Amino acid sequence: MRGTTSDGAPEPELGLSLSTAGAWTVIAVSGEIDMYTVERLREAIRQLIGEGRTQVAIDLTPTEFCDSTGLGLLIGARRRLADAGGALVVVCANTRIRKLLDMTGLDKVLDVREAVPSE
Amino acid sequence: MNAAKHDHRPDSVTVRFAFTPAAAYVRAARLVAADVASHAGVATGLLDEVRQAVGEACTRAVLRHRDSDIDDLVRVEFSIGDRFVAKITDNARDLRAKSESRLAPAGYRSDARANDHDAIEEDTLSEEITLIVLGGLVEDLVVTGPDGERGTTVTMSWPLPGRASGSDH
Repeated sequence: MRGTTSDGAPEPELGLSLSTAGAWTVIAVSGEIDMYTVERLREAIRQLIGEGRTQVAIDLTPTEFCDSTGLGLLIGARRRLADAGGALVVVCANTRIRKLLDMTGLDKVLDVREAVPSE
Repeated sequence: MNAAKHDHRPDSVTVRFAFTPAAAYVRAARLVAADVASHAGVATGLLDEVRQAVGEACTRAVLRHRDSDIDDLVRVEFSIGDRFVAKITDNARDLRAKSESRLAPAGYRSDARANDHDAIEEDTLSEEITLIVLGGLVEDLVVTGPDGERGTTVTMSWPLPGRASGSDH
């Protein structure tokens, strides 16, 4: 649900939708990931780790915008999930964000896939 | 005659503003950037690049102010001349000293999120990634400073169709 600013305009919002695909917990992210909204995604990952759900796929395909704050979060999430014995998959069929991952070399560091893992 | 007067466009246009170094205002800055660039005539295919690049530069400025624990405004200037030029200026001086403080225990920081190790680590990563993204994204990119008097200025420019193609600022 979107909040509104004092003049009634919609605030930027990050939409997180959780689902399960085999052993993976999938977080589909809609909206804009930036330094203002990133904390919600960080908290969602913390919560999953706390619940012992450490096989996590972050689906950026529906994401409208992602900046370097979001990329920093992916690196941190990968480390925290690995430390907890799990793994991170980044799902991205979104050409704009895929370009960012390629440009920064994160496509080599992160497990980036075109589709949500099936098992 | 009046129409001709109203249609007159100055040779050079400047849009300048400043914002409190808080995450909430970075989105506003990048949306203004895309809007001003669109009015300036930057090719539609480059507007996403302008939005991303200005957002990255503003994010970097906010992180630098946060890292230095200063509340000074982040300054943004767009100018339209031969090219569309965006300048984002922070006021965080003395980068080397601040790099050392980053390595200090979290309790050293007066930041409200001082105990949030994950966020601080990711912010540090993000500040470094902003420059990588800017370098990959923007063909004409200059970062100056910091020195003892000033912080850094990120200057970027994009071509305007029908204008001279020089990249001098």
